[in-house]
Amino acid sequence: MTTEEVGGFATVEQWLQAHGSHWNRTAEEAERLRRLEILCRYCEFAERDPDALVANLLRETPTGRRIWLKRRRAEMARIDAFEGIVADGDPRRGRDAGNVVRSFFIHNGVALTATPFR
Amino acid sequence: MEYKQVIGRRRSIRYFVPYRPVEREKIQAILEAARICSQAVNANWAKAIVVRRDDLSEEDREALKTPTTTAQLDLAPVWIFWYGDPSAPTLGQTTLKGLVDVGALNPSHGWSHAYVDDVVWTQVLTPIMGNQAALLALTGCEAGLAICQAMLMAVDLGLGTGINAFNSEKARAILNPPDHWIPLWVQLVGYPAESPDGGGQRPRQPFESLYFEGRYGVPFERDESVVNELTDAGMLQPPAPLPWRLDEVRALARMFGLPE
Repeated sequence: MTTEEVGGFATVEQWLQAHGSHWNRTAEEAERLRRLEILCRYCEFAERDPDALVANLLRETPTGRRIWLKRRRAEMARIDAFEGIVADGDPRRGRDAGNVVRSFFIHNGVALTATPFR
Repeated sequence: MEYKQVIGRRRSIRYFVPYRPVEREKIQAILEAARICSQAVNANWAKAIVVRRDDLSEEDREALKTPTTTAQLDLAPVWIFWYGDPSAPTLGQTTLKGLVDVGALNPSHGWSHAYVDDVVWTQVLTPIMGNQAALLALTGCEAGLAICQAMLMAVDLGLGTGINAFNSEKARAILNPPDHWIPLWVQLVGYPAESPDGGGQRPRQPFESLYFEGRYGVPFERDESVVNELTDAGMLQPPAPLPWRLDEVRALARMFGLPE
């Protein structure tokens, strides 16, 4: 999957639009590409496309959309593992990449976060 | 700090200085404030277990989180687990007579030991204790009064604070509270890493839509001179978001390695 292809998924469009709207700024092209490259790499790592990643965590119920909590925990662990690989000895670099992925989920309605540095 | 400022400055703080411990005497002061709150039947409905974050294993810390209570738990050095104790009024017959003895409940208002024994205990408290729905509502309300005072004391002491959900089943295993205690909130306490005003006073529904005069449907009209007075006193403060709030949140997120 190329970054261009990743950018065409509905969940990715949703993410970029919501992120820009929330923070009241649109990412420059280089930053947009960086994010897409990281998400692309995560999709390869998880062996799922972006829409499938989000769909895996959500389920429709009579009272509305709900998050699968066990799957969410598993996804959080997978992001942590991804961070470790991307970090290559630099935890900040790994965290930055992990947070791009987390941001993708968050702006698609899946609440998750990282353990803060302290 | 002046009382009105304490009320006005309280925010639900979610970013704490993670490495700065909270002095034990400040924690005690918070609990002291809770203990002397208004309480029905003069019963201590609110109970608390104070935990220092760093005394917990990483596994236990993770277990206590919920989907909405996450990074703030990691950042706050002190966690106060608040519970409601629905058994509190079982001492009501004694605690009410104690209020008669100290001149809080007086014959001028019809109070006596006999009234407590023959009427209040048998006809009011005993039925309430047998009515699960009423007892739960009362327990939540009364414990909430104590928690509110605990939060305001934290603000007065220059601390950041906020109440959050927690995983009560895991807490039961980790903290070992009595089985009948009702889990309410975990109050996080620490020095705020975000500006204490949290980027402005949080939005609320319009005053007149919440409060009525004489009967429901007749709004209690807001007097602007009172609003101005409370604004001058620091109780009513500039509304969120202050212009720099998003930048502050972004900077905090980057400092702590949290997502945006």
